[in-house]
Amino acid sequence: MTTDLSRGGGRPSVEETRRLSAVFFLQLRDPDAWAEQRGAIEDELAASDRFQNLSSKEPRDALLLLHHPLVEHCARRFRNRGEPYEDLVQVGTIGLIKSVDRFDTERGVEFSTYATPTIIGEIKRYFRDKGWAIRVPRRLQELRMQISASTAELTQRLGRSPTARELAEAIGCSVEEIVEGLESSNAYSTLSLDATDDDSDGGAGQSMLDAIGIDDESLEQVEIRESVKPLLEQLPPREKKILLLRFFKNMTQSQIAEEIGVSQMHVSRLLAKTLEQLRQSLEEG
Amino acid sequence: MSETSSLPTSGTTSSGPDTVGLRLPADGAYVSVLRTLSAGLAARLDFTMDDIEDLRIAVSEAAAMVLDEADEGADLDCEFELGETGMSLSIQAAAAAPSAPDYENFGWQVLATLTADAVIDSSPGSYAVRLTVRTSLSS
Repeated sequence: MTTDLSRGGGRPSVEETRRLSAVFFLQLRDPDAWAEQRGAIEDELAASDRFQNLSSKEPRDALLLLHHPLVEHCARRFRNRGEPYEDLVQVGTIGLIKSVDRFDTERGVEFSTYATPTIIGEIKRYFRDKGWAIRVPRRLQELRMQISASTAELTQRLGRSPTARELAEAIGCSVEEIVEGLESSNAYSTLSLDATDDDSDGGAGQSMLDAIGIDDESLEQVEIRESVKPLLEQLPPREKKILLLRFFKNMTQSQIAEEIGVSQMHVSRLLAKTLEQLRQSLEEG
Repeated sequence: MSETSSLPTSGTTSSGPDTVGLRLPADGAYVSVLRTLSAGLAARLDFTMDDIEDLRIAVSEAAAMVLDEADEGADLDCEFELGETGMSLSIQAAAAAPSAPDYENFGWQVLATLTADAVIDSSPGSYAVRLTVRTSLSS
């Protein structure tokens, strides 16, 4: 048995997990027995990487880490139901903690047998209690479930979508309540403009806000730029150079003055004049 | 809760079709109220769940079109005319210089698909979208 434990570096074996689980539970629940058997167990598990990694931790933490893949497994079963996977793992982990704290090692069942329903129960409870974006009274939550169940059933039977009255009769409530129930179903999920689209068909990580188009600011400039072009061509070489240095090379008027060999005041006047000319020609054109 | 309250079975009375009016600020935040009222009325006219869902979308589109044109601080005037197998709905707002009806854009395509009849009424001072929807039970 000793030699089998660390074999096959890939998937951790179930036997190893079970063995490690038993060891850490012994450590957690029965420190005396642990102290007694510690030497033998450590020898036995000397070749197990997982044991080496976990044994430095508190036994409770070690157990949580050891069994965490179980939570991920359970959470995956509830993916694509409108709640982020990470949240489900978190909630499931609470279930795991409860399981570790409550597990009775004397019963002789495997820990995973005990923990799985607890973890799933915790995730389901999360869906029931917290899944709603807007808190809706219990009565309406139940009504919504009845409506969706009855809608499916009636659609089958009638061969078409049922009316509110038919639903009301099937459920045994008033049309008013059906309308109310429909309204509440809109509260199950609200959309945030900042929410990212996790359906990940190409646009992953894009928020709705990103997807809403606005006119590109530079688009408006295109037209102006295009109409300015011929006008620029007609400018005398010196004026053209001043514009170029000022607006494309971002030089200050003093730097330009130095470059061309005129005073800064003169550059200022030339710039103002040129711009005024351009503006006029644009408006006339 | 299990008691089924009695409701008027039809919107039509001897004095002509029943009408329901609603006036809201022309602000997107109020559109949900309009949607809810539309759904509530449709439920009483024996619209199917699918019809009601279609109506909600159509109303949203129509309201969006009118809101785009409405003057600052204007009101959204909505009138429902309830018939036996459907309803006509008019959403109107004051608009000093509304643009001409655009029967090409996406919103209109949606509206035209979801309604039995839809029309944009654009004139200086007012912009309105009128639509008619029928329960699929009547056909």
